[in-house]
Amino acid sequence: MNRIIQRLSLSVAASLIVVPVLSAEIDFAHDIVPILKQHCAECHAGEKKQGGLSLDSRESLLAGGENGVVVKPGASRESALLDRITAKDAELRMPPEGEPVPADQIEKLKRWIDGGVAWEAGFTLTKGTYEPPLAHRMPELPVARDGRQHPIDRIIDAYFAKNEVSRPTDIADAPFLRRVSLDVNGLLPRPEAFREFIADPSPTKREELVRLLLANDVAYAEHWLTFWNDLLRNDYTGTGFITGGRQQITGWLYEALLQNKPYDQFTRELIAPTPESIGFISGIRWRGNVSASQRQEIQFAQNVSQAFLGINMKCASCHDSFIDRWTLNETYGLAAIYATEPLTLHRCDKPLDKTATPAWIFPELGQVEPTADQPQRLKQLAALLTHRDNGRFARTIVNRIWHRLMGRGIVHPVDAMHTEPWSADLLDYLAIHLRDNDFDLKKTIELICTSQIYQSQTPPVAQPQAAGRFVFRGPLARRLTAEQFVDTVWQITDAAPTKYDAQVLRFKQQPNHSPQAMTALWIWSNAAASGPAPAGETITLRHKFDLPSLPVRAVGVITCDNSYRIYLNGRHIASDDNWETVEAVSLLAHLRAGKNELLIEAKNGGAAPNPAGIIFEASLRFDDDMTRTIASDRSWQWTAKTLNARGKWKKEPEDWKAAEPVTNPDVWSGRVGAQLTNLLKTAADSPLMMVRASLVKSDRLMRALGRPNRDQIVTSRPNDLTTLEAIDLANGQTLADAIQRGAINRLAEYGDSSEALMSWLCNYALSREPTTEELRLAREFLGTNPTQQSVEDLLWSVFMLPEFQLVR
Amino acid sequence: MDIGNMSEQLARRQFLKKLAAASTAAMMAGEPRLLGADEADATQHPEPTADACILIWMAGGMAAPDNFDPKHYEPFKVGLPVEKVISTFPAIDTAVDDIKISEGLEGIASVMDRATLIRSHVLPDLGHILHSRHQYHWHTGYVPPQTVACPHIGAWMARVLGPRNPVMPAFINIGQRLEGVGENEEIKAFTTAGFFGSEFGPMNLPYPEEAAAAVRPPKGMQPGRFENRYKFFRKLVDKAPQRDYLSDYQQESMLRSLENAYRLLGSKEREAFDISLEPKESYDRYDTGRFGRGCLLARRLVENGARFVEVTTEYIPFIHWDTHKDGHTTVDRLHKEIDRPITQLILDLETRGMLDRTLVVIASEFSRDMILEGVPGSKAQDQATFKVDKLQEMAHYGLHRHFTGGSSVAMFGGGMKKGFLYGETAAERPCLAIKDPVNVDDLHATMFTAMGISPQTAFDVERRPFYATEDGKGRSVSELFG
Repeated sequence: MNRIIQRLSLSVAASLIVVPVLSAEIDFAHDIVPILKQHCAECHAGEKKQGGLSLDSRESLLAGGENGVVVKPGASRESALLDRITAKDAELRMPPEGEPVPADQIEKLKRWIDGGVAWEAGFTLTKGTYEPPLAHRMPELPVARDGRQHPIDRIIDAYFAKNEVSRPTDIADAPFLRRVSLDVNGLLPRPEAFREFIADPSPTKREELVRLLLANDVAYAEHWLTFWNDLLRNDYTGTGFITGGRQQITGWLYEALLQNKPYDQFTRELIAPTPESIGFISGIRWRGNVSASQRQEIQFAQNVSQAFLGINMKCASCHDSFIDRWTLNETYGLAAIYATEPLTLHRCDKPLDKTATPAWIFPELGQVEPTADQPQRLKQLAALLTHRDNGRFARTIVNRIWHRLMGRGIVHPVDAMHTEPWSADLLDYLAIHLRDNDFDLKKTIELICTSQIYQSQTPPVAQPQAAGRFVFRGPLARRLTAEQFVDTVWQITDAAPTKYDAQVLRFKQQPNHSPQAMTALWIWSNAAASGPAPAGETITLRHKFDLPSLPVRAVGVITCDNSYRIYLNGRHIASDDNWETVEAVSLLAHLRAGKNELLIEAKNGGAAPNPAGIIFEASLRFDDDMTRTIASDRSWQWTAKTLNARGKWKKEPEDWKAAEPVTNPDVWSGRVGAQLTNLLKTAADSPLMMVRASLVKSDRLMRALGRPNRDQIVTSRPNDLTTLEAIDLANGQTLADAIQRGAINRLAEYGDSSEALMSWLCNYALSREPTTEELRLAREFLGTNPTQQSVEDLLWSVFMLPEFQLVR
Repeated sequence: MDIGNMSEQLARRQFLKKLAAASTAAMMAGEPRLLGADEADATQHPEPTADACILIWMAGGMAAPDNFDPKHYEPFKVGLPVEKVISTFPAIDTAVDDIKISEGLEGIASVMDRATLIRSHVLPDLGHILHSRHQYHWHTGYVPPQTVACPHIGAWMARVLGPRNPVMPAFINIGQRLEGVGENEEIKAFTTAGFFGSEFGPMNLPYPEEAAAAVRPPKGMQPGRFENRYKFFRKLVDKAPQRDYLSDYQQESMLRSLENAYRLLGSKEREAFDISLEPKESYDRYDTGRFGRGCLLARRLVENGARFVEVTTEYIPFIHWDTHKDGHTTVDRLHKEIDRPITQLILDLETRGMLDRTLVVIASEFSRDMILEGVPGSKAQDQATFKVDKLQEMAHYGLHRHFTGGSSVAMFGGGMKKGFLYGETAAERPCLAIKDPVNVDDLHATMFTAMGISPQTAFDVERRPFYATEDGKGRSVSELFG
């Protein structure tokens, strides 16, 4: 197409506006390629050049054959091609066998030639010579060099030798700690962890660290949730949700990651789903007419093949693919497995006289029964896809993980799994290792992270590698994802929100674990004792308690139908208006030794009387290991008076009455009872876990940093920081607020020493000690008495450092 | 700034060269690659007739018969049969003899001799006529859903042409909130650079009066402090112990972006975003509300080198142009909001000698009709709030149904003809385009061509070509060019 435009514009170079008039909309890819494929390719493409004519490229076509020019651009009358296909004499006519080329196709070819023989840049009729194998293959491991026994290193070292690449230098403990923490859990190692790790003399500390990080189920799940949400196009908000045309799989996915569900089982549950995991195969149901290639059945074919096999069936959703071997028939076969009614094939949105037969694309492994019902067919597909002998299934996911950890796929791009890997041995080894470890993805991550090549320096790259054959030289630096950036900023500033949007329990429930029931009761005013409370009723609840000393840990959980604001000793600690989400709150900052007072303003919603209730329970732990529970019950008091906007009384009320337990709390406890119990247990047993960015809806900052709309499958994030993003980083309110909170928090600890602050910051943000130069700069910048502003600016400057924003 | 000057042309050519070089990098990363970037196969772009583009977006479906295509008018009367009403405003004369437009648009009528008016813009009937789906189609050229995230036409201009002034963001979107309004996720889905990546995405300025803050150092930060912060940051970079990485391209590009942002936030051009700096007399001429102030902001931005600016009346379901009841009263108010600022924008651009090189386009996702939904034969569901055969009260009076068979687009400057009428819709219902229909592909092709972008420009996405107009089929309407 492009050539035509160039040609035309050359011929009319004098005119200023070039409006190329193409030959009546002949489109090479859609109109011409199918004709060439059907009638010509068998004898005139690839190895075969009958009569010396090859249609492999525009050049070879124009070069003609043994009998001279075959096609003359712009002159169909002088092109032998048309003479031959229209020849009356069957001896002369092309193709030599079969039906002659139909008249409408001849007309298209004629217009194509007259229009200048447009050709898609780089298109060739040659079938790709590389076809990825289906079966698994165990490569023979090369002998270890220099004592490097790790199977990955044995393969890589041999690769380096063969390609004459010098091995990258090993990294020191500190950068390794930072890299592996960010890669496995998406978090920075804490400064204490950094010091301990450096000091640890154990020769196996790196392997132990990898295992320790992987064993942190919650942190692992919440980091990899981003990867899987992208890949399975799951989100908490987005296109399609308003019309109910789309379902989340968040609860199922989170639990699957937390339990490290084997990847084959994981996949089977997505393909042959439960109500919790059905959102993936259902795709997005759009309102109104959609093109045939975006029906839910076709979305199914596209999403399943892309996510699990790295196969792009988007081309083959409209016509036989021009770039790989997939056909329209195969796409529709896959789609028909999902379809619940006869599915008519459409070519480029026009119906064909053909109904799709349910079929899976690698019949070598078996086939679905076309006559089985849809749930059965989905089960059969799930079994075939995850078949132990399906090497492509395992290779696709290990390649994605390698890409995440090493910066570039063994096959790259990661969704072009039909292209040749730079090391088939490595890819095959990782795939078979995954299968033989019962599809435990943590084992794959462990294998990669414990290799020497993972633990090597990322070489500086002067410029992006030019096109052509890729040579692996070592791991590449990766930019923090939007979620990683936000998480790490929250780590350093303690500015994470207390609420999150993903409907998940951030707690791994043990199979036989039944946490002690809570003691708190759902309470309300006396109006609720006998039934529904008036709509809009607003009350204030009070609870006074004495503490002999300050606890070391104090966390609570709360929720209310319909909304509340809670104050501890006059300080606001939480508010919410959705009873289905439970909030965990930290009380520590505002508790006092001696008298304490909790005030909760609670409001019922609705337009007619309806159930109202609030529940609160806190668990306090003291340094002598004594514990104490503070829970809503009859001892709490209520009044109809309300607080002002700052949580203060206009006039202290005197009409306190005893709160009443609500008669029928089942309406809530059925839905949030487990959440309350688990959250309290989690919160009480562990330090209050920071809310992670992967659990909250995308915001302006994350969107700016490349968190995608998940309408389509996303398998890679932008690796460059753009100017618009930089503007957001320079003056965006979200980041500025976090930094301000961070400055206040850090000033409280390090207000008296700019050097101590700088050391802490370098330890935490960069996993290293500051240099003398950096200490001097900090001293100069902060002065002897750092101000909040100067600490804010220090934090900002460190967050902007490429060293901070890149995983090296 | 002299928009059409030579140095800019040169800069653009160099930019395109760089783009070709950069595409190698993108290819390595698996990112979209400009097809035909190698010299032998270069896409030949048309010579531009415009350097900047302002899209004035009448969000929610502006009824052509009550704006740019007046028909048989019936004043409100209790008991009047609905079928008798085609227009609810009488027609008025314009500066061009054979063009009449609706009462209430007297200002625009006075500058009609600078306009090309298309009355035959046709949109597809997508069945269930959902505004955000049609807006997606209009802004990207592709009907959703699509298998890849499609770029907004502003992102195409940013991607292919780059910024006119290196300090200014190339694509700026004024007046649309992306949070807190209905269908916001659907709006976000096309207010994006799609597969081009966020470098080419819109800078969103929902409130014109707050635009200055978007390019100002953070709240409460004195200029001196902002500079000191950046200087300190640079010192840290320079003293970083990882000296090896100073030559790393990824690190360099990161630092360059931060430098660009710092320069914009400290630049003279930053003042363009601050509409409070506009002389009061001029400010007041624009200030009919948020939309009017948006037009003022658009003018200031284009004056200072913005490439593509969209100003919208804002899409909020059932508000503004989305009239499902009370249409006449609402449109009467909208006329007052849009007429003065649009007129002033055209006059200001002309006075500054910029109109000839600035393409201003007024458009909407579809038109409306009193009783017909979609087009004849459409299965779309009836959208009027009141289903009455005869008018009972004022709320019944107005064009309350979505109509896709013929809408109007006004274009000013940027190489378009002046005082020119193109296309026609039927005088009687159904008011379908009956002459020279222009679909979205061809309209986009016309805009792209004016801006010097071939409608056949293609990028390689997931190894498939993705065109500036769908399948590269958009054809510029050459009759419109002066």
